[in-house]
Amino acid sequence: MVTREDVENIALLSKLFVPEEELDGLTKSMQEIIDFADTINNAPTDGEDFDDINNLSNVFREDVVVESYDTKEILSNAPEQAEDHFLVRNRE
Amino acid sequence: MGSIEKIHEMLVSKECSCTELTKSYLDEIEKANGELNAYVNVTGDEALKTAEAVDKKIAAGEEIGMLEGVPMTLKDNISTKGIETTCCSKILTGYKPIYNATVWETLAGENAVMLGKTNMDEFAMGSSCETSYFGGAMNPFDSNYVSGGSSGGVASAVGANIAAYGLGSDTGGSIRQPASFCGIVGLKPTYGAVSRYGLIAYASSLDQIGPITKSVEDASIVFDAISKRDERDSTSKGFGGDTYSKLNNDIKGMKIGIAKEYLEGIRDDVKEAVLKAADIYKSMGAEIVYFDLPELKFALPVYYIIACAEASSNLGRYDGIRFGYKTEHYNGTHDMVCRTRSEGFGEEVKRRILLGTYVLSAGYYDAYYKKAQNLRGTIVKAFNNAFEKCDVILAPTVPMTAFEKGHAVSDPIETYLTDICTVPVNIAGLPGVSVPCGFNAKGMPIGMQLIGKSFGEAEILNAAYKYQQAAAENFKDTKWGVKL
Amino acid sequence: MSYELVAGFETHIELATKTKIFCGCTTKFGGAPNSHCCPVCIGLPGTLPKLNREVVRYAIRAGLAVHGEIAEISKMDRKNYCYPDLSKAYQISQLYAPLIIGGYVELSNGRKIRLHHIHIEEDAGKLIHQHGDTYVDYNRGGVPLIEIVSEPDIRSIDEAREYVEKLQQVMRYIGISDCKMQEGSMRCDVNISVRPKGSEKLGTRTEIKNMNSINNIAKAMEYEFERQVDLIENGGSVVQETLRYDDATNTTSSMRSKEDAHDYRYFRDPDLVTIHVTKDVVEEIKSTMPELPADKCRRYIDELAIPEKDAQLLTKYRRISEYFDKACEGVKSPKTVSNFIIGQIFRRTETEADKEIFDVAVTPEQLNELVKLLDSGKIRNNLAKSTLEKMLDSGKGALEFISESDMGGLDENALNDLCKQAVEGNPKAVEDYKNGKEKAIKSLVGNVMKNSRGKADPALAESKIKKLIG
Repeated sequence: MVTREDVENIALLSKLFVPEEELDGLTKSMQEIIDFADTINNAPTDGEDFDDINNLSNVFREDVVVESYDTKEILSNAPEQAEDHFLVRNRE
Repeated sequence: MGSIEKIHEMLVSKECSCTELTKSYLDEIEKANGELNAYVNVTGDEALKTAEAVDKKIAAGEEIGMLEGVPMTLKDNISTKGIETTCCSKILTGYKPIYNATVWETLAGENAVMLGKTNMDEFAMGSSCETSYFGGAMNPFDSNYVSGGSSGGVASAVGANIAAYGLGSDTGGSIRQPASFCGIVGLKPTYGAVSRYGLIAYASSLDQIGPITKSVEDASIVFDAISKRDERDSTSKGFGGDTYSKLNNDIKGMKIGIAKEYLEGIRDDVKEAVLKAADIYKSMGAEIVYFDLPELKFALPVYYIIACAEASSNLGRYDGIRFGYKTEHYNGTHDMVCRTRSEGFGEEVKRRILLGTYVLSAGYYDAYYKKAQNLRGTIVKAFNNAFEKCDVILAPTVPMTAFEKGHAVSDPIETYLTDICTVPVNIAGLPGVSVPCGFNAKGMPIGMQLIGKSFGEAEILNAAYKYQQAAAENFKDTKWGVKL
Repeated sequence: MSYELVAGFETHIELATKTKIFCGCTTKFGGAPNSHCCPVCIGLPGTLPKLNREVVRYAIRAGLAVHGEIAEISKMDRKNYCYPDLSKAYQISQLYAPLIIGGYVELSNGRKIRLHHIHIEEDAGKLIHQHGDTYVDYNRGGVPLIEIVSEPDIRSIDEAREYVEKLQQVMRYIGISDCKMQEGSMRCDVNISVRPKGSEKLGTRTEIKNMNSINNIAKAMEYEFERQVDLIENGGSVVQETLRYDDATNTTSSMRSKEDAHDYRYFRDPDLVTIHVTKDVVEEIKSTMPELPADKCRRYIDELAIPEKDAQLLTKYRRISEYFDKACEGVKSPKTVSNFIIGQIFRRTETEADKEIFDVAVTPEQLNELVKLLDSGKIRNNLAKSTLEKMLDSGKGALEFISESDMGGLDENALNDLCKQAVEGNPKAVEDYKNGKEKAIKSLVGNVMKNSRGKADPALAESKIKKLIG
């Protein structure tokens, strides 16, 4: 059973705002999807858990320094920046 | 002969220059895109620059590669350095990657002429291309119909001959389904065959980049070019050898399997077309084997649980700090992040993030995520067993044909059901190719799917090629685009 | 009622690899903001992590150093939480299948603090808050860490202190980290609860973060212990929460806010593959491990007859013990070497930092030479001591300060003369000795030693003086 509180909680975890007026609708639609997901409840679980598709292991990088990007490039997509930092400016 | 080989010959024989060819593609995009909305960003200047370089090479008498100078497109979730890459989401508007996806680096290295970036469902979440922030891409057979999704823009562009080929991505059918809707070929490679580096993640354990093309030869050529092991992608294995040289191998004695679960709940015209294809295979000497694959009934919920769980984590980084959209008014960092995400993501994306968060959250992890992982193992095993009975599996790509625009059902579950035939392949990491296999009463294309063993691309592409030879009437041009 | 403290530690240690855990950016400390960054470590869409092999090897070293079991199969998980210093909104870590399982740290009182596990993970970036604005620097983002999680086995603040010191010592020994708490390359979170003495049941615990020195850990724990006891004594109950320690006020305060809903939604990271550590790799790494401080300390006590307290001082830092080992080569009395180091050299390396670096003007080979002169009886202790001081001042070898004649010793006649002089010149001491003051003889011998410039054999001088006095 998906409750309004569940939806509020997962919205907070997901960092999403759900307007009060949409909460009931969303709870209902989440319940429907979860009901659908619940169809796996009766499935047998005698199998082995899935791991890597191709059973790969030990894919490593050697500890060799690669030149970092230019700071300008690193910051080039930042909505806001200052003094070579990404910035979240206080708008209060 | 496929489009790529034809263009290659035209360039080599100097029937036309690469610049002329590129210009005619750009002209046709200009004419068609208003109605089809396939491209969200046309990069004409860059395309012409590459074309010029190719022309110089040809003029200098240098040999050119098969993909060199061939005009193509990329789905807008494949990172292109300096060129806006948005995933067709408001949250990534203005984002210009500072690095190239490996597939694009490979193709750009071969002087592929990229005409632009193509439309998609937002973050590849959808089956009609209609969740795109820029509005959906339309079907070249009839622009009142959707192109399918999520790689709808690529399928629309290739179907309309306003790109010779394109690369899409397939998480639960996003290459095969739009290819099926648009009457063209779409290959979802084996997981790990093609590097995911630079593909903006939807669900990392399911995502795979692959070609969308007019013909099977084209798909084979492009797949061979991009299926290399990539040092930057730990999950990539690459594909040893090539598929192209194995096209047109005899399929006499090949065992083609049909699982009855794949034909349940399928619309009659689709089922009929697929069974007719089976008859064609039979007439070519293949053996049709019927069997049950009961595990398939869990595929769809398993897919949605895993895909949404991974998506909820992959999409956490869109927070308005390092890239992309940021809200205007806020009160503190937490508020900024929540507002940015709430304003920047569309409804379907938010729905899947919430679902994914739910199935991973304390108290539900075991019942949903862990259980789904377990069933994923079961499905992998079921396919392994099936491939002891047959060499390739034949199935419909989608239970229906393209639907009319705006029809993309408001009920999420019903929408999810359109993925029922495509998701099992992603869950099991197998290769699948969608090939046109007929038309419905309204003239809209029907697609069938050939599913192979892990890294069995050569086998399914060969089977697809044989079918293409035998049923060329199903591979039709539309009124749009460049006539080669 | 008297209460017992129950504490466990989660210790983060930054590994001294050259590059970050999932990309090739340098881990160098400092640097201009966001200058040690690439698309991977700032979490640009589409990027993928690739695990640094050396991180796994360093973590295995750590595991071996604390007697942990190296898991043959381990996996990377995602810990999801959204905070501006975390570029992907998840930290790649290990929960379900960590690299190291179990292990322990043995304290001097003989108690073993059991470890639950050790896992590898990535560090977050740095936030600077200024006038309500938040500045983000991802240079530290992606620097490799191990997290050492102990069982709640610690029962006192002294034990806590020693536990941290021991970890710091051993991790430095094996060279995987400099473990500087001030610079954040070693960070401890403490889980703490109290219970009535004798009770077996665990109380509700709080977690204290943000302590940047061992002293602060001790102070924070003391404060928190008192706070919890007061709370219970006054009929209240402890609330499970995360606390921040403020060293300016020496208090702890709640870190919780409405915004941090804590549910990390761990799941296997689909971008990374299984880590498979074979027995061969473990053996190979084992063979490169230095002798661990606890083993060294035991060896010094048992085999070299060094007193326990001194052995601990000698093994506290790897550099000192290595210096000692070298200086001891072929000497008859390692204790003499130890005395020179602890007595005279330590006076020149007063701070802990100096001791750790142990940059001494005299090389261990030079000290070895000096001690061998002493061993062979060529020089006496006093001369050796004063010579060492000169060596420490100048960095020159012993032979620069000791002449052939110094080493020749004293002939019989000269010694007889000096003894005679001593007895005649100090009638008071002679009188005292005769009256039964045994000690008085020492001042007479001292007089001989002084006048012989340390060359006389004090035992021989003593017997000669005794004979003269009769």
